[in-house]
Amino acid sequence: MNLQVNGKSFAATPAPGECLRVFLRDLGWFGVKKGCDAGDCGACTVWVNEKPVHSCLYPAFRAEGKEITTIEGLAKGGELHPMQRAFLDAQSFQCGYCTAGMIMTAASLSDEQKNDLPRALKGNLCRCTGYGSIRDAFAGVKNVAPDVAGGSRGASVPNPFAEAIVTGRARYTSDIPPMDGLLHLKVLRSPHAHAKILSIDRSEAMAVPGVVEVFTWEDVPRRLYSTAIHEDNRVDPDDTYLLDNVARFVGQRIVAVVADTEGAAEEGCRRLKVEYEILPAVFDPEEAMEPGAPVLHDDDGDSHILHPEKNVFLELHGEVGSVADGFAEADAIYEDTYNAPRQQHVHLETMQSIAWRAEDGRLHVRTSVQGPFIVKGKLCYLFGIMPADLHVFTERVGGGFGGKQDMMSEDLPLLATIKTGRPVKWEFTREEQFTGATTRHPMKTHVKLGAKKDGTLTAMQFRLVSNTGAYGNHGGETLANGMSGPWAIYKCPNKKGDGYAVYTNLQCGGGFRGYGTGQPTFAVESALDELAALLNVDPIEMRRKNMIGPDDKMESVLEGASDLTMGSYGLDQCVDAVEKALASGRGLPKPEGVDWLEGSGVALSMLDCVPPTEQRSGSEVALRPDGGYHFTVGSVEIGNGLVTAQQQVVAQVMGCPSARVTFLNADTDETPYDSGTFASVGMMVPTKAVENASVALREKMLAFAARTTGTKPEECRLDDGAVMCGDQRMPLAELHSAAKREGEELLCFRKAYGSPRTVAFMAYGVRLAVHRVTGEIRILFNVEAVDTGVVMNPNQVRGQVIGGVVQGIGWALQEKMVYNAAGAVVNPTLRNYRIPAFADAPVTEVFFADTYDDIGPLGAKSIAENTINPVAPAIGNALKAATGVRFTTLPFSEDRIFAKLQGFEPA
Amino acid sequence: MNSFTFTRARTIADALRSARGDVKFLAGGTTLVDLMKLDVERPAGIIDLNALPLAEVRRTPDGGLHIGALARNSDVAHHPDVVRDYPLLSQALLSGASVQLRNMASTGGNLLQRTRCVYFRDAAMACNKRSPGSGCAAIGGFNRNLAILGTSAHCIATNPSDQNVALTALEATVHVTGSNGERSVPIGDFYLLPGQTPERETILEPGDLVTSVTLPPPAPGAGSTYVKLRDRASFEFALASAAVVVTIKGGVMQRARVAMGGIATKPWRNLDVEAALEGQPATRERFADAAQILLSDAKPQSRNGFKVELAKRCLVHALSVATAVT
Repeated sequence: MNLQVNGKSFAATPAPGECLRVFLRDLGWFGVKKGCDAGDCGACTVWVNEKPVHSCLYPAFRAEGKEITTIEGLAKGGELHPMQRAFLDAQSFQCGYCTAGMIMTAASLSDEQKNDLPRALKGNLCRCTGYGSIRDAFAGVKNVAPDVAGGSRGASVPNPFAEAIVTGRARYTSDIPPMDGLLHLKVLRSPHAHAKILSIDRSEAMAVPGVVEVFTWEDVPRRLYSTAIHEDNRVDPDDTYLLDNVARFVGQRIVAVVADTEGAAEEGCRRLKVEYEILPAVFDPEEAMEPGAPVLHDDDGDSHILHPEKNVFLELHGEVGSVADGFAEADAIYEDTYNAPRQQHVHLETMQSIAWRAEDGRLHVRTSVQGPFIVKGKLCYLFGIMPADLHVFTERVGGGFGGKQDMMSEDLPLLATIKTGRPVKWEFTREEQFTGATTRHPMKTHVKLGAKKDGTLTAMQFRLVSNTGAYGNHGGETLANGMSGPWAIYKCPNKKGDGYAVYTNLQCGGGFRGYGTGQPTFAVESALDELAALLNVDPIEMRRKNMIGPDDKMESVLEGASDLTMGSYGLDQCVDAVEKALASGRGLPKPEGVDWLEGSGVALSMLDCVPPTEQRSGSEVALRPDGGYHFTVGSVEIGNGLVTAQQQVVAQVMGCPSARVTFLNADTDETPYDSGTFASVGMMVPTKAVENASVALREKMLAFAARTTGTKPEECRLDDGAVMCGDQRMPLAELHSAAKREGEELLCFRKAYGSPRTVAFMAYGVRLAVHRVTGEIRILFNVEAVDTGVVMNPNQVRGQVIGGVVQGIGWALQEKMVYNAAGAVVNPTLRNYRIPAFADAPVTEVFFADTYDDIGPLGAKSIAENTINPVAPAIGNALKAATGVRFTTLPFSEDRIFAKLQGFEPA
Repeated sequence: MNSFTFTRARTIADALRSARGDVKFLAGGTTLVDLMKLDVERPAGIIDLNALPLAEVRRTPDGGLHIGALARNSDVAHHPDVVRDYPLLSQALLSGASVQLRNMASTGGNLLQRTRCVYFRDAAMACNKRSPGSGCAAIGGFNRNLAILGTSAHCIATNPSDQNVALTALEATVHVTGSNGERSVPIGDFYLLPGQTPERETILEPGDLVTSVTLPPPAPGAGSTYVKLRDRASFEFALASAAVVVTIKGGVMQRARVAMGGIATKPWRNLDVEAALEGQPATRERFADAAQILLSDAKPQSRNGFKVELAKRCLVHALSVATAVT
């Protein structure tokens, strides 16, 4: 059939059943993204005869004779479309994966539709930005600042990938032409929550035309490991096999099939015959700890599970002072149990990898992960590969949020490549992200607080039960994290906590923005308001009275020497800013009518900026022959803006514009070792390494210049594009040639370790209206005040903050994973698992505290994770203020609110 | 996705001739293609209707409106005649789906939109609608989105459409052509209750093709509105929705048409509700009486009991808006 794509005629025949998205990508238009494949997310939006459609639901045959426009065809004659220009000016993206589709919709809108963006943008989801910068694009806001020499720190310089993102040229994991002989991998997942595999009959699957190989647990190395990505792999239990003969949750991968096409691999999976012996299953962690509960892991000691017979991977207990004494002296005591449920990351780019053996004889894995070096280590261990023979790297990663802090998509393609010799690709479907990947750990927190009449806390006690699911990846570290920051932010002489990470036959918890702290923060920040109410103390005053000050010891319940240090302190500024903003009356008025109730709430959060376990990184910075700079670093850019910040650090140290700095990151062949980009380390460890290497290079360049020119070293300094030796100006290109002539290398390598660790603070305030009839909530005003040290790039940091707040609003109000009685997720689609769309995202104000961190690079510290933590409790506090009812279970969905306000049992 | 044959129909006769055996008509594809990807629909053949001349929206001689079965939801929602004379339909269409989906979805396809019940959409679950006789996993399962009216022991799936609720309140007629010739069916008779055969959702016979929908002339001086209550402001199916058209004279409701969505197995119209409104003063008390009648037969499931009260309030609210009673 014939069709026009971006003004060019094509004659091509789609495969039977092929949708337009696949067809266009096969023609090489990689700007057409796959986000859900179900018409929910809009990442695949293209125009058919000038009208936007979801190309994933559009049969390719229907495009016959039609004119198709993809993002690559939107610019005309080398001129960006005005909407592309607007997105560029407003920097309306973070990972950029949704951007192409978002622009295709945005560029098609009439002026009338642009005045009703909540409706007009219903068909496009973004998980990174919280839609703040997207709103800016429509308003014509320019969020970029000039990139001037010496002024890089604190300037909103543009993302170096900005042009590539708005034109669809940014290359994500799958955006490369298919390799010769490429095979596609699909897995059969367990339909049972707990079952032993008795037999697997692969004969019918192997008979499907196109199926090349089938892999079961009998075909893989039987080595225990954990999928979790941590430098210190002993913090996670080794409780997982590549493929196992026991299924411990619905969705566990059982058999892998590789075939010439995705369709054949899927058909192969359908034709597999697996005989299961169904075992009793347990889904509730409290029940799992009871005697007689089904045991998930028969640990013979190799897995490092604390109490395998009780399904307890890890217990942590601690007490400082005496809570018994503390409660005895309290004038009021409050206690209740708070439930914080799962949340899926919903990075728009699903997990995916391509493995192949290249002409160099080595194995290569192109992937979408937050820690390629650790993945390499795990793969070497599992398959017995020499490190020199394996190369793991990322290009552009379409979002992570902690979801890609596990090795989930790399191992099976590599296995298949080793066995077949052919390139193999595995792309998670959106459904697999919901059934086979990780989520935020569901946690139940029983909290008990006591205080004196004036609001001074006398005792804080909690019991935290975390459901780590079928495997313990991240189960211990999230538990420990949840027992730290949320409790250490308040001064109190008596604190006690008991924590349990418990196995159940549900899918695994994993790393997720906040990493175990958001769940207990929901409990303690709600409880604090309840206690304040009992004492008739203002909730903000209650916090001021008890929150730690700059000279206070940060003390949780876990004892032992810690390298946690207050490199800067801005919590007081954050609280003041939120109080002032709420009092200003800014935002929307309460909707008219007696049925609308109004209330405000606040919550605080503190987060360690680096994990307590080992974390390291390295960077090499070099002077380029043309006088610019190039750095390499092993950290991953997952849409957090990390490489932009790193560019800015080099530029600031060297006194040049950011645009003079080029880079390469996240590549085990080409960049120094890095523990991975998670746990708020991006700014604190790899960027610190970049700073260290930059400073070292600057000193080396100045010393060389002084020697060459015969100037005193103290009279030499770097200027934009040149080194000044006294009055003598030597262009950097010349310095480079001079050094080369003398055999001097103007490059430096430095490492950074995540110690000591600093802390970041945050306060969030919200005013909302709730409809007492329908339970509908409208956020009228919200503000997040953040202490992130020196704000390296205000626009990017604002994007991280708003993105985190909106993800928090999703968790608080609408995101809910629902399981049936057999332990299967019943809503594994974006249609039914509801992440916020434009219409759900309010305008969020952002305030930056004025602080300088002594530990982080150039005074900066972490930002992205902490942003989500205070959102749900503040909304809960506002709901209480509005309705008089305390909601202790997330999400605060309309039916729950409605039911509770009407005196029904909540569904 | 399964392999299948693909035929493009050039004429209606062509389409009807091709409709033999296990084949499906394809219009916008927003339901069918989605369900094929989920392995819920596995037709042996697809007949693409998009080349048929069925996209027209025009006035009928009696002052009503003809909407071709292939008229896109976006075109209907923004059609000047619809916006002026049937704003209810425009509101309903715009409250559903997204710009991209409305650009693809057709009027006829929307009429036949399949349920969003998660058990219907998951080929691994028991569902009498998808696989007759396999049971209903929704009864006793996750059913908070499902129906409380018109259910049977075999199925409690909700009709998800917004359009169809508006068309029901507007008393539309569905025009069908098939091997037995052409026929016209009032929308109230078009949908079937699940009963013992939930796989049969409409009176359509195999090979029947919906060609158009017509609306009677707009009721002069009537107030109308579509109210949709859902879990979030953006893309979402209704927990409860109400389409109402009310004519008032001297504070008394002369004529009332009421249809409800999100709570029933088909677009729900109960003539007793309308009778309870007509001839009565337009007050919240009378609206509440009607709502009581509407829900008197409700059969809540394990997790959707809240819908009884929600639906009542939804209807009272819609009637208040349509009649400007505060």
